[in-house]
Amino acid sequence: MLKVAGAMLVIVAAGALGLTVSQNYARRPRELRALQSALSLLETEIVYAATPLTEALEQVSRRAEPCASGLFARAHTELGSGSGTTAQEAWETALDKYYPDSCLRPEDLTVLQGVGKVLGTSDRQDQTKHLRLAHERLRMLNLKAEDEARQNVRLWRYLGLFAGLATVLILV
Amino acid sequence: MAHTSQLIDGTPSLYLRNEVVRFFPGNVRMLLGRLPAATWSVLEEIRLRATRPLILGSAAGETMLTAEGSTTSDPGSAYRVNEEDVARTVELVTGSSLYAVEDELRQGFVTVSGGHRVGLCGRAVVEGGRVRTLKYLSGVNFRVSREVHGAADQVLPWLLRGTRGIYNTLIISPPRCGKTTLLRDFVRQISDGVPHLGCTGLAVGVVDERSEIAGCYRGIPQRDVGIRTDVLDGCPKAEGMMMLLRALSPEVIATDEIGRREDVEALEEMLNAGVNIVATAHAASVEELRGRPVLRELLGRQIVERFIILEYRHGPGVVRAVVDGRTFQAVGGTPRCSK
Repeated sequence: MLKVAGAMLVIVAAGALGLTVSQNYARRPRELRALQSALSLLETEIVYAATPLTEALEQVSRRAEPCASGLFARAHTELGSGSGTTAQEAWETALDKYYPDSCLRPEDLTVLQGVGKVLGTSDRQDQTKHLRLAHERLRMLNLKAEDEARQNVRLWRYLGLFAGLATVLILV
Repeated sequence: MAHTSQLIDGTPSLYLRNEVVRFFPGNVRMLLGRLPAATWSVLEEIRLRATRPLILGSAAGETMLTAEGSTTSDPGSAYRVNEEDVARTVELVTGSSLYAVEDELRQGFVTVSGGHRVGLCGRAVVEGGRVRTLKYLSGVNFRVSREVHGAADQVLPWLLRGTRGIYNTLIISPPRCGKTTLLRDFVRQISDGVPHLGCTGLAVGVVDERSEIAGCYRGIPQRDVGIRTDVLDGCPKAEGMMMLLRALSPEVIATDEIGRREDVEALEEMLNAGVNIVATAHAASVEELRGRPVLRELLGRQIVERFIILEYRHGPGVVRAVVDGRTFQAVGGTPRCSK
């Protein structure tokens, strides 16, 4: 009886481990998509409504999906703090906080850092250009990420389960 | 916020200091923060020019600041503004949103919260013969706007017509003489009412194209403009006057810096609707107004009943004369208030 329970425990644990790893693969495309639509929101605020950046960031943080809104909320707080930070500094600080908790890769981070370099420092035309470019880059990265996710999610899900089963078989 | 600045003595200048230094980056902020309250109470301009000394302008003349924060008149020992200082100041005064102030930038200045005007200088980007925007901004002139309660006391008796109206008034002076300050206080007083002159308080509509009169932040006046005042913030003057007239039935309409043809036409429209007007214009004298075609028209139509001419003598806000709009003679003698 005890043996069966132990075996179950091993299988469940290994399965859960596999599931966690697979979920990380699935999370990256989700985050990239959320960031893309958040950047579109930001573009709308900047180009069509000419909303001041602090307010625009706040708006985006409210309307973006949860997995992207943290970045914009943080940038908004930093910029609105009145301590004399520039938009780029505020954005970088926000990224430093956001990146470690996300599933993003260094190449994704580079694109986002590029956004910070131009944020708010030029006219509408120029802002559109840069935001669209960043959007497009994230889209390309997302396509790749989705491919990867498709392969790896299933792989890791089964791998965990089978590794659990194998362990049980060996031990028994 | 408007009420905080009503406090007397050193407090308003400290309040002003906190309001203004927010727009400057680290080291410049520190230098300005160290200035004594006495300097702040007369400060009119803060000039930043890349690679050149930081210069403060006031009624007492110019001063420069050393890197330690003490005043000096020797450019050699003064703190030199670097490009980074200017770039950061531009970010702060535009709220990191150059795209949001494109129209203002085309005119060469932006207005920040609190109603301060910040002039910017750099390289013009020209498109089709017109300035599209400025880039490589390298010079900043921060003009401190102040609320002076009682600035209009001196001229008020000559501007009130009975208990329910004012003479159509144009305040004229060269830049930096306190036109807007006078206009703001005048609006506040007629809106609140002036019991000792028999004025019971008028509904005033302000078209504040550059947010300098009421210093609105998200539509709410940050300056005390009176209890019966509606402010149409950031709206082109001519269009705004018509909107106010139709929507809010004001008894008086106030606006700043008229000069375009459509402004004058709108003013005439207001008059036909029985609304009194008060406005400001750049000119040193009534004669100078005649030199400007659009304003000459304004004179020709005899719209203005009172000119207030300001000058800069030991400081801004000195009334040189109040001139009658029909006779062009200085008005004097007993105040005509409650007939």
